[in-house]
Amino acid sequence: MKPFHIDVNSSQLSKSGNNVCGDVVLSRKVKDEQRTIITVSDGLGSGIKANVLATLTASMAMNFTVEKQPIERSAKTIMSTLPIDSRRQISYATFTIVDIDNGGETQIIEFDNPAFILFRKGKLLDIPKKDLSISLNDGSERKMLFSQFTLEMDDRIVMVSDGVTQSGIGTTQMPFGFGCDSLNRFLSEQIKEDNEISAHELSRKVIRKANENDIYKPQDDITCAVIHFRSPRRLLICSGPPYNESRDKQLAQMAKSFNGKKIICGGTTSLIISRELNVGIEVGMTLDNSGLPPKSKMKGFDLVTEGILTIGKVAEILEKLHGTEVYGSGPAVEIVKYMMESDEILLLVGTKINIAHQDPTLPVELEIRRNVMHKIANLLEDKFLKDVEIQFI
Amino acid sequence: MSKFNLYNTEMEKKVEVLVCYGTLCHLMGGSDLQLLGELLPLDLQGKVDLKGAPCLNFCNEVDNGKPPFAVVNGRKIEQATVKKLIQEIRVELEKK
Repeated sequence: MKPFHIDVNSSQLSKSGNNVCGDVVLSRKVKDEQRTIITVSDGLGSGIKANVLATLTASMAMNFTVEKQPIERSAKTIMSTLPIDSRRQISYATFTIVDIDNGGETQIIEFDNPAFILFRKGKLLDIPKKDLSISLNDGSERKMLFSQFTLEMDDRIVMVSDGVTQSGIGTTQMPFGFGCDSLNRFLSEQIKEDNEISAHELSRKVIRKANENDIYKPQDDITCAVIHFRSPRRLLICSGPPYNESRDKQLAQMAKSFNGKKIICGGTTSLIISRELNVGIEVGMTLDNSGLPPKSKMKGFDLVTEGILTIGKVAEILEKLHGTEVYGSGPAVEIVKYMMESDEILLLVGTKINIAHQDPTLPVELEIRRNVMHKIANLLEDKFLKDVEIQFI
Repeated sequence: MSKFNLYNTEMEKKVEVLVCYGTLCHLMGGSDLQLLGELLPLDLQGKVDLKGAPCLNFCNEVDNGKPPFAVVNGRKIEQATVKKLIQEIRVELEKK
């Protein structure tokens, strides 16, 4: 697994009176090439129309970048594709494209968005930018900024829409708006206060501040996206007894030597590990409203739960979840919380089939563990951008 | 025996009840057994030591009977219900 992790998160608020945000943030991991691409776009105006423009721009920018198209051509295509606004007679949406490869090599292309902010060791870093001009089919010229640098451990890139830098405009406190300098100062304070602050939390703080500047009535769509380059938090989930009993020892050793948080899902699995490592299991008797068997305690492990029902519930929660905030109680919710707090997740899946679970008279259908774990892995990878590895044993 | 011995030593020998929390037992009605502690009649309260187990591995052999399983003082109980377990606890207490 990689020595670092790219944590991407964003928060948004729509202009007061609109249900839809006119800014769009997209992020994608290109697994084969180990690249992470983030696009931010702000559409002209606000509401649905702006959202359509921004979505169009962000997704085009994303796909062209994934395909490694030359930026001039992508920008030209984007600008000539956007529909012309009936009122303003122009077609327009801003964008920022960030392309990070597995070594931290970063390329950023900016078009009319507020400049990205790079923090290194809590300090602001100035990156020289190159001008990129493109001439459109109608003869007009557009200027973009191109920058290239290598990210170092614990670097943060912050991108905002003009709703943040221009928040508070016209108020007595800040007649000319929040501005880039105040934003930089605000960010340094937040990072100084909590050096470990997550991308999610930092972006939340920025939009909260912008909302406050606008006296809780956003005058424009507010968006903040944060990229945090940091050491990965790792999680191991063991579920299921090994296919062959001779590998029990191997399972226990892998669980023991893993560096990170550890969870066991499965009664028999926990018994095997308990036997091999010679540690006792203390079964909890706490009742909750999750309808799942209670969790247990085992020294050296963060959580021990029942198997197939719990992971089935985990898959269900992940499927329904929007964002990264998990509510509720019970063992499955706890597992999801651990997952959300991790970057790299190793699923160690035993493939032994429990004959008793195949009984057709059972009141519910018990899915095969392997399938559920595949589903969880896909959800974590595609929806939550986690690094997931499945090992069958 | 000290005259200050207020506790009946017989009382301290509690009946040990082990409830299986494995998947199958949980599905087949074992989830109700979690409530045993709350549903114990007054005269049995304080005389039972209720514990859970990850999986007692009874379900893998057909001869063991049907889940949910529990163990009362070392005796395997198949198709356990709260009612059945209370009966078994009384049987154990009468043995003394």
